[in-house]
Amino acid sequence: MDDTNQKRSGLLSKLVALFVATFTVSCTANSGYAILAVMKDDFVKKRKWLTEEEMADYIAIVQSSPGPMAVTSSTIIGYHVAGMPGTLAAVFGVILPPFLVMVVVTLFYEAIVGNPYVSLFLRGMQMGVVAMLIDVIIGLFRNATDKGWVYPLVIMALSFVYVRFSGFSIAWLVVACIVAGVAKALLVKRSEERQ
Amino acid sequence: MSLILQVFLAFVRIGAMVFGGAYAAIPIVEQEVVDVQGWMTYAEFMDLLALDEVTPGPILINSATFVGMKVAGIPGAIAATLGCILVPMVVALTLFFIFRRYKDTPLVQSVMTSLKCMAVALIASTLLKLGLAAIVPEAPSVDVGYSIYVCAVIVAAFYLMHVRRVSPLPVMLCCGALNLLIFGLLGL
Repeated sequence: MDDTNQKRSGLLSKLVALFVATFTVSCTANSGYAILAVMKDDFVKKRKWLTEEEMADYIAIVQSSPGPMAVTSSTIIGYHVAGMPGTLAAVFGVILPPFLVMVVVTLFYEAIVGNPYVSLFLRGMQMGVVAMLIDVIIGLFRNATDKGWVYPLVIMALSFVYVRFSGFSIAWLVVACIVAGVAKALLVKRSEERQ
Repeated sequence: MSLILQVFLAFVRIGAMVFGGAYAAIPIVEQEVVDVQGWMTYAEFMDLLALDEVTPGPILINSATFVGMKVAGIPGAIAATLGCILVPMVVALTLFFIFRRYKDTPLVQSVMTSLKCMAVALIASTLLKLGLAAIVPEAPSVDVGYSIYVCAVIVAAFYLMHVRRVSPLPVMLCCGALNLLIFGLLGL
C-alpha cells in the first residue's frame, strides 16, 4: 500500500516537474533550437533525467518529425520520463504560454495594429525578421550540404521553383522529397554492392 | 461548429506538413490561411509574423492561436492549437518507438537530407517575399531613399546576428524602436 502511494506521488512529482520545466522553457525561448538548448541544459545536466547520448538521439528524432521542435521534443522526453502522462504534462506546459499570450494579443489586436506608432514599430521589426531569416537559411544550408553539394543543390533548386511558381500544395513536395531521399539511398546502396 | 472543425482540420494539415524548424512553418501557414482559406490578408499575415517574434513559444503555436482567435474566438484558438500538435505528437511517438532499430540506416539519413534541403527552399521563398514587401512596400511605385534605408537596417541587423552573434530578439526590438524613432517621433 505504502509502495503504490509512493509510486503515485513519485509520478505526480515528475509530472509537475515536467510541466514546470517545459512551461518555463516555453516562456523564455521562442525558437526551436533555443528551446532544445534550454531543455538539454535543464533535463540532462541539472535533473539528470536523460543521458547526453539519449538526448542526442532524441534531437535526431525530433528533427525527423513534422511540427514545432518544442512540441515534438516535449512529447518524446515526457514519454521517456513518465510515459504517456509525462507526454501530456510536458506538451501542455510547452503550448500554454504562447496560447495565453496570443489570446490576449489577439483580443487587443485591432487597437494594437491600428495604432500608427505600433505599426511603425512592427514595420521596423519586419526588417529584423528579414535579417534573421538570412541568418537561419545560412545555418540550415551549411547543415544540409555538409556531406556533399550536388544532390542538396538540385533538391533545393527544384523545391524553390515548385514553391515559387507551381501553386500546388507543399504536402506533395514533402512526399516528393521523401521519395527522392529513398531513391538516392537505394541507388547509393546498389552502386556500393556492385563495387 | 463546422467553422471550428474547419479550423481544426486546417491546422491538422499544417502541423503534418511543417518540416525543418519554425521558419519552414511560415510559408505553409501562409498558403493555408491566406491563399486556401482566405482567413487573413497578406498584410495581416505580416503583422502576425512580427507578433510571433515578440511572443514566447513556437511560431506554429503562436500562429495557430492567433488565426484561430481571429476566425472563431477562443474555441477556434483551442481547436487550431490542438490541431497543429496532433500529427507531430503521433509521428514523434511512432518514430521514438521504432527509432533505436533503424537510426543509423542510410535510408533514413538520405530522407532527412532531402527534407532539410526542402526547408532551405521554403525559407528562401519566404525570405524573398518578405524582403520585397519590406524594401518596396508601395510596389510598383518605388521610394528609393526609403528602400536604401530599409536595406541598410537589414544589413546592420544581419551583421549583429550573424557576425556578432547577438541573439535575434533584442536586435529585432531595436529595429522596431529605430523605425519608430525615425518616422514616429522625429517625423522625418
